[in-house]
Amino acid sequence: MLALTVLYDPECGLCRRAHEWLAEQPRIVELKFVPCASEEARKRYPQLNHELTKKDLTVVSDDGAVYFGPKAWLMVLWALARYRDWAYRLATPELLPTTRRVVSAISQNRYQIGRLAGLNR
Amino acid sequence: MTIGISTYLIYLALSIALTIWVARTLHKNGRVFLVDVFHGNEALADSVNHLLVVGFYLINFGYVSLALKLGYVVNTAEQSIEALSVKIGMVLLVLGGMHFFNLFIFSRMRRRTQSQNHPPVNPDTFTATAVHQEA
Repeated sequence: MLALTVLYDPECGLCRRAHEWLAEQPRIVELKFVPCASEEARKRYPQLNHELTKKDLTVVSDDGAVYFGPKAWLMVLWALARYRDWAYRLATPELLPTTRRVVSAISQNRYQIGRLAGLNR
Repeated sequence: MTIGISTYLIYLALSIALTIWVARTLHKNGRVFLVDVFHGNEALADSVNHLLVVGFYLINFGYVSLALKLGYVVNTAEQSIEALSVKIGMVLLVLGGMHFFNLFIFSRMRRRTQSQNHPPVNPDTFTATAVHQEA
């Protein structure tokens, strides 16, 4: 695997901030950011359920593997040189349920969190 | 030649022979590990292998040299054998320690590269991708 395409929500301030942070991190795997359900996303992945990608972060690898929600977050962490160890740690059977809960909670409340942090435009 | 000199010479001959034997074993059998660690890059594996063996020789010969001095006079063959057993025993323990330390390094390097190449989670589904036609 050489590249991951990240389908992110361009409407959400928290996601934009996360995007800026990610852009500065040294990567092991190339990350490409495409707004979810955009024309480019539909062109790249004609068979993907794009309504679903609006609900939660989606990552697609260059070999066509699709990761939704918490798994997508873990894949993004895994792509970063400094956080690869953390991706494995958070994906262990002991920690994965907690990871899922925390990530889902952040993801579902992303607009509110963004507003509270003053990140929404 | 006095019995003392003979003791030193036997000690040196045995220690050097043992060190060379262990280093050669390490060199011969460690290569497979290193080739795997460096993803089949044999030139790099050989280079690292050689550097490890050089370090191994330096540490062991350094120890053999420092531990040469007996500190007492050996008069009989019996005393000579006793002195040799202590000295060679120490050399063997140091060699064993170094050998396991090297094995530990090999296995750690191998585990590290192995665990880093697979994604942490399984994909939810698969989709057709148009990226390849584009590029």
